[in-house]
Formats: sequence, C-alpha cells, structure tokens
Amino acid sequence: MPIPPSFDYEAAVLACARGEQFALRALYEREARWLLGVALRIVRDRERAEDVLQEAFMQVWQHAHSYQPQLGSARGWLYTIVRHQALKAVRDPARLQVLEPEALTALSDQMASADSAAERELDAESLERCLQHLDEARRACVLHAFVDGYTHEQIAARLATPLGTVKSWIRRSLASLKECLV
Amino acid sequence: MIDLNDATQRSAAAAEYVLGTLPAEEQRQLREALHHDLALRAEVYDWQDKLLSLSRHAAPAEPSTALWPRIDRAVKAMVAATARPVAPSRAAWWQRLGLWQGLSGAALALSLLLGVLLVQRAGPDASGPRYLAVLQNPSTQATGWVVELQAGRPLRLVPVAGADVLPPGRALQFWTKPQGAAGPTSLGLVQPGQVLELPLARLPSVEAQQLFEITLEPETGSPLDRPTGPILYLGRTVPI
Repeated sequence: MPIPPSFDYEAAVLACARGEQFALRALYEREARWLLGVALRIVRDRERAEDVLQEAFMQVWQHAHSYQPQLGSARGWLYTIVRHQALKAVRDPARLQVLEPEALTALSDQMASADSAAERELDAESLERCLQHLDEARRACVLHAFVDGYTHEQIAARLATPLGTVKSWIRRSLASLKECLV
Repeated sequence: MIDLNDATQRSAAAAEYVLGTLPAEEQRQLREALHHDLALRAEVYDWQDKLLSLSRHAAPAEPSTALWPRIDRAVKAMVAATARPVAPSRAAWWQRLGLWQGLSGAALALSLLLGVLLVQRAGPDASGPRYLAVLQNPSTQATGWVVELQAGRPLRLVPVAGADVLPPGRALQFWTKPQGAAGPTSLGLVQPGQVLELPLARLPSVEAQQLFEITLEPETGSPLDRPTGPILYLGRTVPI
C-alpha cells in the first residue's frame, strides 16, 4: 500500500470533527479502494462491502470528535472502524450469502494472487518479520482472524485444530508480537 | 467476562478486540469500558497501529462510482438532521415512543430527518392512526427506505440512502405481511431511488407490527407468491 507521506490523516479526521465535509471526501479518495478491499475480503460480496464502507464513513463522520491523535494514528482508527463494521455485517445471523459459485472462485483466485504479491513486498516490514517468528499454524490463526475476519470457531474448523488450542495460540501469538514489536 | 482489573486480561482483550476475535458479549463489555477507561483506549489504539499493516493482505477493490455520492447524501442528511431544530409541538411524538429503539446511530439520524419531513408532509389536517416502518438491511442495519401509512392516504415508500445499484436482470420487489398472516403479499416492483405511492386498498391490512420488506428478484418479479431472493431491507410498522 504505497502511502505518500504528504497526506495528513490526523488533520483530515480532526477536520471532520469540525464539520468540514471536504475532509471526509479526502479520506475517501485516499483510502476507499484499500478499505473496500479490506471489507470485501471479510464480507465476500461486493454490494455488501460497499454498504459496509458507506456505514463506516458515516461512523467516521459521526465519531471523528472522539478520535484522539495523541493515542495513535488516524489510519489505524479508520481501518478499525471499517473492519469492525465488516465483522458486524458478516456475523449477523440473518445474513444471506448471495454470491454465485463462479464469483466465489474468481474472488479466491484474486485473493491468492494478492497474498503472494503482498508477501513479496512486505519482507522488510517489522510486523511481517515478527510474524515470521511464529510457527506457521499460529501465523495462520492471526491472518485468518485479521484479514478474513474469521472467529475462533471458524479458524478451528479451517485448521482442524481444537477450539481451545486456537484460542490459546491467538492469545500467545499476540503476546509475542507485542514483545517483538516493542 | 473479562476481568478489567487484571492487567494481563485487559491487554489480551484490547488486542483481540482489534484483531476481531472477541466473543460478542466481551466485545460489548470492552466497547462500554472504552468510553471511560483512557488507559484501555490507549492499548486499543496501540494495537490498531501494530496490526494495521496486515490490511495489506487484502487486495484493493475499486469502489463503484455511485458509492461516494451515496455516502455524501447520507452525510448531508445527517448534518441536516442535527442542524434542523425540531418544532416543540412536534418534538414529543418521537421522544415519547420507543420508535427508534434498535436503530444504529447513523440510521437514527437519518430516520429522524425522514420522520420530520414525513410529519411535515402529512400536515395538521391528517387524521386516523399513522404508522412508520424504517426498512433496514438485515446485515448492515443500514436504513434504505421508509414506509408511511395513514388511513385515507396512499402508502408512501421513500428511499433514504440513494438508489440501490442492482445486478443486471434483477429488480426490487416490495412485500408486506401483517402479523399472523400465512404469507407475504406482493406490492409490486420498486424503482431504486424513487418514491412509490400505492392505494391502501392494495394492502391486506394496515396495522402496527406489520412487516414490510424489499427483496432482490428476477427482472419481472418473483415467479412465486413469495420472495425467492435475499431480503435487502425489512422493518415493522410502529404507530406515531
């Protein structure tokens, strides 16, 4: 994700808090395609991913005043809003899967190629380096949770591993990431 | 439940909150605590930044050109809703009733705006019981349409969030089902983004808790006497 340093995310969110609507548009133009990708990967349906993004931007507008720049970056704050909105959409028991089988195949192909491209790019990243310290199954737990939006139960099923093991792997992986990233 | 007095549990919960693996109940507990617990909020912000670059594992996706205009309209509606003072004589009805319970904040703001507009349109001469149904997407809780019903007037179905973009060869179909009815009654096809008016005689009844829904169907409508596609929006009438 090439992010030119010139864009001031913090200033944009603070401007939203002051009611300046152009700042919301600036955030959208800068991040929409990346945020839609994050939402799409979780909800796996284009139309619903766009609904997620709409709801998320409405929340950004409404809650911009609660963002605290001294605690962390505005990008981290923004991505959390979008991911939580996508998780909410995908975990609603009333949700309906509307993707046709061919569309699903195309989507997973596209995801696979994005993964390998991303992996090549990211060798130097400190988070990726710390992830490499985890064994493969534990790393998979963290990625399935964050990127695919899977629950503990879904990860356990996917990795054919007992639920309790998955829970403790995730907890310990996060603890070791924290230590590694200091 | 998380013991928020235990430092290890707090940190673990903050991390899993950001990761997205906290069970629903604990997520609610943590979200509640974040309102007043600044140290916990600091941990959450820290994890947001620690894990942010994992987002790169998702391939970017180009939004449709209709998405920003939809967001823009929704935000302008929220701004209008919060800026517009509600006349005191009319403020009471929505404060008094549990009409808006269960709506998300954004939907609430939109709904309030719509409610004010609908009430003004109905005018002081209107008589008889009146009902509103706010139709929301069952997954995202996004408000899409509002139904207004009143004896002696046509039913009005009003779009809130702008026009839905439909897949080729599909259409929106409007349905109603009174409480206790065996099945839904079709009220015909709906044009995305356009107000629909229907004579009340088309409805099997007009009452509180009456279900209205909009489903995605083939271009010429459902071939059966019930929906065959996914529910895009649904809601029940409440008296106002």
